[in-house]
Amino acid sequence: MPDRPQQRAKWRTVAAGSVWSAVAAGSAAAAVTALLLFPSGDPGPPAGFGQVPDGGRGTGTAASASARAATPPGQKPVPSTGPTGQNSTTRAQGAPPVRVVISRADLSAAVVPVGVRDDGRAEVPTDPAQAGWYRFGPAPGDAHGSAVLIGHVDSRTGELGELAALYDIRAGDRVDVQRGDDTTIAYEIVARRIVKKDRMPADVFRRDGEPVLTLITCAPPYDPDRGGYQSNLIVTAVRSAS
Amino acid sequence: MRKSRTSVMIAACLGAGALSLGSAVPAGAAQAEDTATVSVFHAVPGLTVDVYANGDELLPDFKPGTLADPQELPAGSYDLKVFEAGADPKTADPAIQKTVEVPAGANATVVAHLSADGKPQLNAFVNDTSAVAAGKSRLTVRHVAAAPAVDVRANGTAVFEGLVNPKEDTTEVDAGTVSADVVLAGTDTVAIGPADLNLKEGANNVVYAWGSADEKNLALKVQTVSGMHSQPGGVDAGGSGAMASGNSSNAWMAWAAGAGVLTLAGALSIRSRTRQDA
Repeated sequence: MPDRPQQRAKWRTVAAGSVWSAVAAGSAAAAVTALLLFPSGDPGPPAGFGQVPDGGRGTGTAASASARAATPPGQKPVPSTGPTGQNSTTRAQGAPPVRVVISRADLSAAVVPVGVRDDGRAEVPTDPAQAGWYRFGPAPGDAHGSAVLIGHVDSRTGELGELAALYDIRAGDRVDVQRGDDTTIAYEIVARRIVKKDRMPADVFRRDGEPVLTLITCAPPYDPDRGGYQSNLIVTAVRSAS
Repeated sequence: MRKSRTSVMIAACLGAGALSLGSAVPAGAAQAEDTATVSVFHAVPGLTVDVYANGDELLPDFKPGTLADPQELPAGSYDLKVFEAGADPKTADPAIQKTVEVPAGANATVVAHLSADGKPQLNAFVNDTSAVAAGKSRLTVRHVAAAPAVDVRANGTAVFEGLVNPKEDTTEVDAGTVSADVVLAGTDTVAIGPADLNLKEGANNVVYAWGSADEKNLALKVQTVSGMHSQPGGVDAGGSGAMASGNSSNAWMAWAAGAGVLTLAGALSIRSRTRQDA
């Protein structure tokens, strides 16, 4: 997808920095009042939905055999029969992901490989317009495991990140992951969870079991004295036909 | 098995007449959970062999430099004998003989190799399968070559120093490719390498220095034991709290503070850009 000709509305600059900065600024010129977009409604913690395929984890490295059976009842089954051209899962590692697109939610983010910070936490691209692919885990298109994409929900400067659009997604939304070899892996969103940051579920970074795409950003509550956002928003998508 | 985080010990009983078991399967070792994962590495140059365990042929026609795939074997005591390929085990004298104890749950590699002074021998090493931190790689080096003490370097920096046959040393390093070489201990005299090693994340990358200095066939062999990866400590993917207006008094106060915010935001953005961490 080409770069957008202009930043979309959600990139509007909103209140940034500390309360005191804001208060100090309160008496400043009001000429821009008209530009202020007051929050309409409450964009705070979005609701979770759906059920996350457990990937057959807990059974060790031979989990793939039971992965399909792990799809919960009532959930749209994952198309699983036969390769479908370029989207077929093979054992070979495909080209790394370069862009993730959720058209219905107006999300399009360049994807760059990321690893682990010195403090052991996941690396996140500095640019909130980008998503990071956790390069030590599975890649989109791999036959097994959870391919993880991570992106900022907002920056310290107050811009909303591209993955803030995950607040707007619905079950059934299509996700396309474009790879460096011009192939695309298609997914369909099945679940969204909000979990405490120190309670990252074990399935998120699993490397075996059913192939899924996991998108992670941050979620309220926001506590500036405790490192900012206290939760993660985790979206799970399963492979779809094309 | 490969997920096992149990710390295991393997006792390698020095052979000479310690035990002589008649049957291939140790007594009482039939349960699946009583198995061990055993790999065999042939590191004696110039000698193709047959390997027998408790009288049964385990690896026929086993060539130097070969690492046999891991096998699930019942835990217990194994009387290992290595014969020159094709020899009759009933009449021939084994080239190497040793009894090893393989405890349940262990992941071990049995290595037929040369001692520092060039005599064939058998040793069993336990492969550390405890969890590896996210982004890290476990690097283990085993000195099984007919060579003196060595240092092992990665990208020119010594990782292990003064390693002697048949010892091993292990550490955790950042995952990724390094240029490794082996030098005579305390010197810059390269004995092996340099060679690029892809140290895989979440795995134990076991590097064997094997062969013979006198025969000028020193080499490296890599065994990868994977599946011990950990997840990152967490994901910090937010910044200003702009997306948290619902629950954040901070944000609401900022709104209330009015129009000036916007003009200030530009200045703040410049100041804070460098410390944005998540």
